[in-house]
Amino acid sequence: MFQRGIAAALAASLALSGCVQTRQFADVEFTPPQGDYKLLVLRPDVTVGSLTTGGMVEPRADWTDQARSNIVQALKAQQAARGGNVTIIEHRNSIAGVSDQELANVERLNFVVDQSIVLHKYLGDYLPTKRGKGLDWSLGQDAVRLGQKTGYDYALFLHAEDAQASGGRIALGVLGLAGCFIGFCAPNIGGQQQLDYASLVDLKTGEVVWFNVVQAGSEIPGIKFGDLRTPEGAAQMIDRLLGRMKPGKDAGKGHVMTPQGPGQPPEQR
Amino acid sequence: MCLRCFEVSRRSLLIGGGAAAASLSTGIAEARVLPKDMVPLVGPGYRPTERDEMGLWKEMDRVEEEIAGSNLLITDPHITGYLRDLIGTVGGPAAKDFRIYLARIPEFNAMMFPTGFAVVFSGLLLRMRNEAQLAGVIAHESGHFLRRHMIRSWRDQRRKTDILSIAAMVAGVGGAGAGVYLGDYVQLAQLGTILSLFQYSRAMEAEADAMGAKLIAETGYPPMEMANIWEQLIGEENSSARYRGKHRRRGSIFDTHPSEGSRMVDLRTDAAEITIPGKAYDNHRARYLATIGPIRPMLLDDQVKLNDPGASEYLIETLAQDGWDGLLRFYEGEIWRLRNRPGDDVRADQSYAAAVAYPDAPADAWRWHGISLMKAGRTGEAKAALARYLRMKPDAPDAAWVRQMVG
Repeated sequence: MFQRGIAAALAASLALSGCVQTRQFADVEFTPPQGDYKLLVLRPDVTVGSLTTGGMVEPRADWTDQARSNIVQALKAQQAARGGNVTIIEHRNSIAGVSDQELANVERLNFVVDQSIVLHKYLGDYLPTKRGKGLDWSLGQDAVRLGQKTGYDYALFLHAEDAQASGGRIALGVLGLAGCFIGFCAPNIGGQQQLDYASLVDLKTGEVVWFNVVQAGSEIPGIKFGDLRTPEGAAQMIDRLLGRMKPGKDAGKGHVMTPQGPGQPPEQR
Repeated sequence: MCLRCFEVSRRSLLIGGGAAAASLSTGIAEARVLPKDMVPLVGPGYRPTERDEMGLWKEMDRVEEEIAGSNLLITDPHITGYLRDLIGTVGGPAAKDFRIYLARIPEFNAMMFPTGFAVVFSGLLLRMRNEAQLAGVIAHESGHFLRRHMIRSWRDQRRKTDILSIAAMVAGVGGAGAGVYLGDYVQLAQLGTILSLFQYSRAMEAEADAMGAKLIAETGYPPMEMANIWEQLIGEENSSARYRGKHRRRGSIFDTHPSEGSRMVDLRTDAAEITIPGKAYDNHRARYLATIGPIRPMLLDDQVKLNDPGASEYLIETLAQDGWDGLLRFYEGEIWRLRNRPGDDVRADQSYAAAVAYPDAPADAWRWHGISLMKAGRTGEAKAALARYLRMKPDAPDAAWVRQMVG
């Protein structure tokens, strides 16, 4: 319920057209994780529904479960290929040594930070103080403490929602297409709507180092751009979302990977 | 823009609009739902079996996890246990399946989610004068679940938007084939659809009211108390509006709930209908006050800090109809002290003076009474009052400073 705010804002920021779009931002010193790293994925938020004839999204429990397990599989396979060691948790009480309240706090903090990123990076409300700084947001000491307690290098937050056109919606589109022959052409009433976003937090510094949004939508019901209910569709989504992480513009300029002590605020670089 | 547009005559549009408006205006004064017709549609341990409802339940899992772990919740086991017992009493067949959470939000509200968990705002506990009233609100929320309102309104919405989309498309394609433009009618139909969704929502609320009245009457609470809740709320909103120089908001066709006035009237009729002469009803006021007693100072404090003197004054005076005490007098003073307009200090001082006459006056009443005496130059009495404050609250944050003044 609470995640909907960000998704709706992002959907509005990217032009609605029949295509796949991605837009990512990274910390200026960000280097995509490689080699032997430990990644924690916190409660991936997946919803798949059916787009009704009238254009509402009807959530489907079976499709959501299917998509979630496909996404988890695809994510594990992709990260393993890069040498990463990934743990995906489904419940807040599943990390030993961290209370569910602590984890909830990190999640909620991340949610509002993500909201802020969406506002200032995607919705056009750009901040002059952050110009040229890439992605300059931090979860602060809460995230650092989580890293210290658990030994993870990164935390990934992932949201995916998909709505597949129902039979009725497709029929309505076909009717609109038929109208083209007599002068009322409306096949583009809107079909599949997929929106995914992810943020990567460096648990050594607490900073949000990378953020990406994927939107895949078709205007014509019946035409699809990757279906999360199939393993191929989920793998395609994970590849679009996480497969092409771009390094930050100052990455690899010497002082990038120096570990920072807990007392040194990350801002003073 | 369009070459072959058929000009919809003003007359035909007016006739269409007039007919729509006529059907709507009758929609506001909807017929009363009879409590005797309100039979629960779910039994104990209900689980959804249909696809759309299963999808809805799935979405709610995360919502409940989020709410259950929220740091806004009041988790005092005494009070949460009391609420659980209450919904277990008036919750009908699903009584044992409900979960209930108390959130610290100083507003009049409570809500039921599709999977059977309810959230009650702390502002509700402040406003209810007895257990019967609180049971009434909880029974109303239970009614939403027992009558399967969430999935029914979702289906209503899906059906109406489906029909509208098909009709709009058919009007477009058919109109193009026949060479007429029906766009204006489509817009009218759109407005009609939106309004009928609101009307459906109001009908569900009326059902929940009737169901609630029936549930509490069956468990021995006087059903008239449900109507009293609305009378109190109307009074509070009138008073709040008056202080702000405004008028209370009346109902409109875009409301999701029936107007407070019509709910009150319907509930009065319901109550008269279902009250069995000679049967003993108990509103359990003493038990209610004893239970919320420990958090009542917090509830009052949250309310007066909303800076809504009209509402706060009305609330305190309504609660005082069951008898003034030191706590209510003290917070009456706080309303005026916090508003701080010319003359308010005098009103506040009078309330503090009245508060300390009661044995249950809170320590802060003695503090402010002492300060007002000090300002009036009655130093001896002031020092005595402040000394009393220090005895009651030796670890007060300003204890050192007050000690200095008392000398």
